[in-house]
Parts: sequence; structure tokens; C-alpha cells
Amino acid sequence: MRPLLILLIFFSSLNAFGQKQSCKDDCSCTVQGKVVDAANLKPVPFATVQLANTNKGTTTNEHGEFSLTALCVDEFDLVFTHIGYKTLTHHHDQFHNNPVIKLAPDDLILESVVIEELSNANAFKSNTTTKIQGKDLDQIKSSSLGNVLSSISGVSTLTTGSNVAKPIIHGLHSNRILIINNGIRHESQDWGQEHAPEIDASLIDEIEVIKGASAVKYGPNALGGVILIRPPEMELTSHLHGDLNLKGETNGRAVDGNLLIQKGYGNLAWMAQGAARYQGDMSAPDYELTNTGMREYSTAFGLRYHRKNLDIKSFFSYLDQELGILRGSITGNIEDLADAINDEVPDFTSAFSYSINTPKQRVTHTLLKTEAQYNFSNSRLDIAYGLQMNNRQEFDVRRGSNNEVPSIDLELTTHSIDAEWLHPIVNKWEGSIGGQWLYQDNNNIPGTNTIPFIPNYNNTRFGIFITESRPLNPNVEFDFGLRYDIQLASFRGRDSRNDIFRNEQNFTSVSGILGISKTLKTSGKLRFNIATAWRPPNIAELYSFGKHQFTNEYGFYRYTLEGETLSTSQVLDNNTLDVKNELGYKFIANYTFSNDLIQIDASPYVNIIDNYIYKAPGGISGTVRGTLPLFIYKQTDAVFAGADLTINYQHTLRWSSKISGTFLYTKDVGNNDVLFNIPPNMVSYGLSYKTKIGEYEWGAKADISYTFKQYNAPRVIRPEVFVDDPDYNPFIDNNANFDFTKAPDGYALVNLASELSLQKWVFSLRVLNALNTSYRQYTNLIRYFADEPGINFQLGVQLKL
Amino acid sequence: MKYLNILMLALLVGFASCDDDDAPEAENEEEVIDQVILTFSPAGAGADVVVTATDPDGDGAADFVTPAIALSVDQTYTLTLEINNTIEGESITDEIREEDDEHMFFYEFTSGLFSSPSGNGNVDSRDGAVNYDASENDADGNPLGLTTVWQTAATAQSGKFRIILKHQPDIKSATSTAQDGESDIDLEFDITVN
Repeated sequence: MRPLLILLIFFSSLNAFGQKQSCKDDCSCTVQGKVVDAANLKPVPFATVQLANTNKGTTTNEHGEFSLTALCVDEFDLVFTHIGYKTLTHHHDQFHNNPVIKLAPDDLILESVVIEELSNANAFKSNTTTKIQGKDLDQIKSSSLGNVLSSISGVSTLTTGSNVAKPIIHGLHSNRILIINNGIRHESQDWGQEHAPEIDASLIDEIEVIKGASAVKYGPNALGGVILIRPPEMELTSHLHGDLNLKGETNGRAVDGNLLIQKGYGNLAWMAQGAARYQGDMSAPDYELTNTGMREYSTAFGLRYHRKNLDIKSFFSYLDQELGILRGSITGNIEDLADAINDEVPDFTSAFSYSINTPKQRVTHTLLKTEAQYNFSNSRLDIAYGLQMNNRQEFDVRRGSNNEVPSIDLELTTHSIDAEWLHPIVNKWEGSIGGQWLYQDNNNIPGTNTIPFIPNYNNTRFGIFITESRPLNPNVEFDFGLRYDIQLASFRGRDSRNDIFRNEQNFTSVSGILGISKTLKTSGKLRFNIATAWRPPNIAELYSFGKHQFTNEYGFYRYTLEGETLSTSQVLDNNTLDVKNELGYKFIANYTFSNDLIQIDASPYVNIIDNYIYKAPGGISGTVRGTLPLFIYKQTDAVFAGADLTINYQHTLRWSSKISGTFLYTKDVGNNDVLFNIPPNMVSYGLSYKTKIGEYEWGAKADISYTFKQYNAPRVIRPEVFVDDPDYNPFIDNNANFDFTKAPDGYALVNLASELSLQKWVFSLRVLNALNTSYRQYTNLIRYFADEPGINFQLGVQLKL
Repeated sequence: MKYLNILMLALLVGFASCDDDDAPEAENEEEVIDQVILTFSPAGAGADVVVTATDPDGDGAADFVTPAIALSVDQTYTLTLEINNTIEGESITDEIREEDDEHMFFYEFTSGLFSSPSGNGNVDSRDGAVNYDASENDADGNPLGLTTVWQTAATAQSGKFRIILKHQPDIKSATSTAQDGESDIDLEFDITVN
């Protein structure tokens, strides 16, 4: 209670700060930084650093470091020059101190870039994070966001065929992880396992994954981790430049392209981006995957205005996706399911086509955001407003003209305001206090000709937080944070008789984080962090009702159990049934070590989730379509424990290796049972070769990965058992979860890549699944029906404009 | 904590004044089949045997109710199916008839119930005999099966009678089976021939 009060007082006294004397008044402004070679990251000594349009300047020392003191301005352009390198102008203000200037050699394609202290960097130094950026991201960013993220150890994907991929962090996905896109919480219909985040990976400049629970800074849902997505930075002083990527792929006969252009005018900068993808049916090694085509169009614009202490950025992005889902994955009843599982080749398999029929998804997502940063002399205020409009249409295989009508048609509008004040450093305490307000309106768009699967709802959420860190000694840093959230929800839906039901409910929770990071003498670093996170039950968990894929499912408020008898005739609410918030407690440790030869990153973790919500088999029901298994939502306590490991080793200047592995063990502690859809363990080895011949740079890479069979999978009851005995009750003497097939066998995959750079051009060839292996992925929802895609040659060309 | 909650709630209510509270519009459940009527009309004199299978609660958990069928021995019946959406007062039969190129009824029954067709129907194997009314055949000459003819056995029998409606868009053919496509209807009835 007391910290929250302090926090409130802090918040209200915000205006009192920030009026201190500026360094301009007594010519005491300074800047320090470091210049490194963009290609090999080695320091560049004796580079010239000049204050633009003045004769004030210096050179870097032997460690590439520079420092300018006694300046009478706190904002200026710095010009970096050195023989053999491209000149760079960087607009500096005192609130982004210690810039790292990556100077690009003259003869290379690389652009010179500046790495500032990130404004929306994650708050805690004890967090375990991994980034994908630069060339690593360029190579893979034409695939879906989920697939891009799965290149990080500890992150995998929950897929529905090849087009729909959701990230899983340490075994948690959907509502249990959070995506912060461009500083704004990505809000969508993420309750569905087959609803992928509506974000185009090809417009992304940098991705960072926080593997700890991070509710304090970002609010509910961050039980497994947070994905931070950043668009290209708009440099204030830059000529018109950009980047064009084109790619062709043999599997799916896809073409893919994206373009980025940007320019800065000193105190104004803009960027524009566009991307498109056109893909037909993918194919597995032995057959076509009919109806797995996709279309994707996206565009983004950014504008930045900077004046003295004020920095304003506006950003608009729009994404439109049409995603085909394997036709053979649709089954009517349990006998169809048995047939489909036993079919060698899925039903409805036909020759390659670009056309997309039902089942399919059509989604659009619009983000409009404006953010302002105001720098006081020793503190900073950030305010961001975001508007998101998410529309999701799902088309099932239906009779007659209804085949053209979506059976789910939802429109979600989200307004959010984030405010954060980075307070002056007080007694070595560095940190921020902030608040978030969010308002959401979800509506079913009429005309689906079926009773809505989820009701209409509104959410209003308010959260306040404080994050602080303090060095305990020069090598040890201490972090803590605290947050309070309240969410007010109102639901309006229709029951199976088309009668209206209504409910209002609020959810509150407190979250916290404690962490410590220690720099070791041996170029190593240790981080420990324990954090809590929470989320309210989502809309589908509370209210879903009816057929979903080949099961019938019922949310908490839509069923009652009297003894063994399941009844779905009434709609409950929070007065008649207490559904608790999910509460997560995640402990994660991280060890990193880095020198010229070897880099190690190891993180063991344990995540305990109270009131874990899951779908449990609830019996079977005779329907007009025959027998359907019933699933009901329940709560239990669950444990997720595991470890991620990555080791990079530089054998010689040209050869390097990367080894990585993930291990995860989970358990439903409440029922002494196993959990569904937990990614299996995996190991991988990659060997890279890099060389430079004159103006050419050439690199090649081979990756081999082995994914183990999920040994910790539910018991198996084949659908034939239900077919042979329509009255079979799988829970008569065993209440454990079951699956219709056993987990797929382990498999090895080989991917190859080669890249040739020449001045402004990069030519690349990648071969995915190079051995054309037939395999099935445990966390693919259509693994019952079809193999994963086979070999895929991807030929790409990139031009730096 | 309590006071904080109240304070926050007050803040929220202030913010949330733009709340709308509209419920989803009522939708016509066009997809639903909640009634299947089997009418066995005996050749010549005699009353029709009508069996009505119904769904008590739509997508709810309660079972579809399938009453038993009782037929007379050594009698030829014409079975006609009527399929309804009683919520909307809509006949699905016509819809199926219009899309005869995508739909087909398959029948399965205990051997010995009927002297014609013999065997156990065409669910296990498409080649199994079922007396389809050829006038309902689709443009490709494949049967639809809303109307079928059954001759009961000469001696008393009992067993099961199962009706499956398959939706086979683009894949219905002379050889497509009860294992192809999706089941729109799959109902099993107890049956006696007496």
C-alpha cells in the first residue's frame, strides 16, 4: 500500500521537477561516445569528431572513445570522418548520451549507424533479453513474425499450417505473452490459438524478446515474456536513402517484396514503407498442401519532429492479410477426424493453385500512434497515444451462399494512452513512474448467420507503475518495480436461443519485480530476476460456446457440472461463478560471457502459474453431425521449468559455429497431469563461413537442428475408439487429458544459406528443409492431417538505395 | 487496498463514459440442422412410419434425440428425408437438393434387416448396395439419396440404421466415399422389423 501512495504523490508532483539550471547557461555541456567499425565492431582510433559548422572537435583515442566538454549548446550535429570510412552526421541531444557510432568502411554495402541509448529500452537491467537485428533479421524477415522469432533460443511457434504462426516463449503463448509494437501494446483477438499477431515482420528493424515476466512495465498478460518490436529509427540528419528487397520462393511459388525510404532535414524526418507477399499452395515432400496460399499487403509511414527539448513521432501502419488454411484440416465429426488422421494424403488435395478458398482468415490491422518526449534538464516525460483497429473474419466451409460469409466477424478498437516520467536520479536511484489507460470496444459485425462465438465487450483498464534501479557497488545493480492494474469489463452476448445476456465485472491485481545484475571480472555477466504477472480470463475462456474446429467448447460461464452431467442451458456470471485471475511467478537467471572467441548465453528459469486456465475434455455429445468431443475451460496450477543455451564460437577469422538448445518441462500440478501443446526440446548447430575478396563479401551458413519427440504429452485415445463405441466415455476411470494421436516423432532439419554482397547489392540464396524431410511439428494444430512443407529455395536480392 | 480500488474505479468510470452497451444483433442460424424427419411410406396400403430426430439445444451439450424406427416385415418402403432448421423455420432439404452436386447421403444398417438392399449399406464401401431414387441424380449421374427404397426382411429383425450426409464440394464423384468430405448429418437409429 505504502509504495503505491508514494507513487501517486510522485505522479502528482511531476511539475515540481525539471526546472533546474541547464548546462547551456554555464557552458558545461558534454558528450561522450565510442566509434567502432560497423563490419567487425572493433574500435576505430584517431577518427575525427567535429561539431558541425564550428571548428570545435576532437579525435578518438586508441579505444575509439571520444569526449567533448565545455560546450555551450546541448543539441548539435556531430560529424564523424575517417579515411576509408563513410562520413556520418549524427544529431545529438544530451538525453541520448554515450552514442556508439558504427562507421561503415567505404567499400562495403553497410550504412554507418548510430546506436543511442534506446528510449523505450526495457526497464530492468536484470532482464534476460535477446535481440534480432541488422543482417540476421534481413535474412529471415520475409517469413511470418512467429517464424522470425523462433530463431531465438527459447522461442518457438504455435502454428496452424504454414501461414498462421504465433510465438511461444518458454511454453506460453497467446494471452500469456505480450507484443509491444512500436511502443504500443498490440491488441487483437489473441485468445484464439489460430490467430497470429497481425504484424508484418518485413517492416521491422529490430526485435527484442524479454524472457522474464514483465507485467510491471507493460501491464497484464506478460506471464511468459514480452516481445518488443521497433520500426526503423528516423535519423534527423540523413540524405534520402532506403532499402529494397525482392524475393522469390519455389515452395508456394511466392513473390515477396518490401521497400523502405527515409530522409531527415535536421529537425524533421520521415520514412515510408511498403511490403507485399503473394503466395500459392505450399507443398509437403509428398503432396500439395491445398488451400495454403496467402496474400499480405502492408504499409507504414512515420514522421518525426524535433525541437529543442521536444521530440514528436507519429506513426501509421496498415496490414491486410488473407490466409488460407489447409482444406483437408476441416472435419465434421469424430469419424471424419479418424478418417482424416488415417489418410496418407489429406482429403481435397489437388494440383497447385494460387486461389484461396474456405477455410481462410482475412485480417486487417491499423495502428496510429503519436508519441511525444519532453526533455527537462534532468528528467524526461514520455506520452504516447495509440489507436488500433483490428478486424478479423474467419471463413469456414459452409453450405451454399454461406460459404462466402464469414462465420466469425469481429471488430476490435483500442485506444491507449501511456505516460511515463523518467525521474531525476536521486541518491543513485534511477527509474520511472508511469501510467497506462486503455479502452477497448469489441463488436461482432452482423451478418455471419450464426450465433456469435464470443460476445461483444468493452474493457477499460488503468495501471500505474514504478520502476527503479540502483547500483549497489560498481559491479552490482539492483532493480525493483511495482504495478497496480484495474480492469473494468462489460459483456453483452446472445445465448443459444438468441436471448441477450449481459454482465459487468472488474479485475484487479498487483504485480512486482525484483532483480539483480552483476558484472563479473571475467567478461561475464549474471542476472537474476523474479517477477510476478497476471492476466484476467479472456473472452473465449469466459464465454465461448459451440463448435470450434472438430470439438465443441464451452467457456466458464457457459456450462455447469452437476456430478458427471454437463449442462449448457444457462449463462452464468461472476456472481454465480468465481473465475480467478491467472497469477504467474517467474524466476529467471541469465549468464552471459563474451570475448573475441566465444559468446555464451545461458538462462534457466522456473515459472509457476496459479489458476492456470486450460481446456479440458468434458465428455462427448451426440450431435446432428455425429459424435463430437466436448471441451470445457477449467483452472489448475501449472509449472514450467526449463533452460535456454546459446554458444557462439569464432574458430578463425572466417569460420564460426553456433550451438543452441532449449529444454522445457511442464506439469499440471493441480491434477498431476501433463499440459497440451508444449514445444518439445530442441538442439541445433550452425557453421558459418565469411570471406572478403576485393569488393565482394561472401558468406555461407549451414544449420542442422534436431527437434525431439514431446515425451511429456497427454495419453492417446484414437478417434476410432469413439467411432466403434459411440457411448464410450474416456473419463469413466481416468480423468486425465487426452490427445487423438501421439506426439510426432523427432526430426532433423537442415537449412542452408549463402549471401554475396557487392557495393549496394546483396544477393542471397536460402534453402529451407534442404533434405526435403517429411515431418510433423507437435505445436502445429494441423499435425493430425498433413506434413510440414518440403524443400524451399528462396532467392533474394537487396538493394541499398 | 479497498480504498485504492474505489479511487481507481472512480477514475475508470470517468474515463469510460463513452462506453457503448449494444449486444450483438440476432443472427439467423442458417447452418443449423435441428430436425431430421424420416418418412417410410409403405407400397400400397398402410400408414406411413414417421420418425422425427431432434436437437434439444443447438450447439449445447445435450444429445440429439433419435427415436427408434419400427417397420413391418416383408414390406417395401420408400424413405424420404426432410431436414429442417426449426429455429428459423427453414427447410434445409431444398438447399441440399439445389446443391446435389456437392451432397450425398450414405446409409449403413445391420445385415439382414432388409432383403433389398442386401449387405450393410455403402458407408464401409461405396460399392455396397443402396436403392437410390435415380430421378434425384445430379448432373453427373451420381445419386443424392433424399429418397431411397427399402424392402424389409421376411422375418423379424432388429439392429441399427445410420444416415450420413456428406458435403463433398468439388470431390463428389462416382467413387467418392462416406470417408470423403465433411459430415453434415451423421445419425444412428435403433430399428426393428416385425
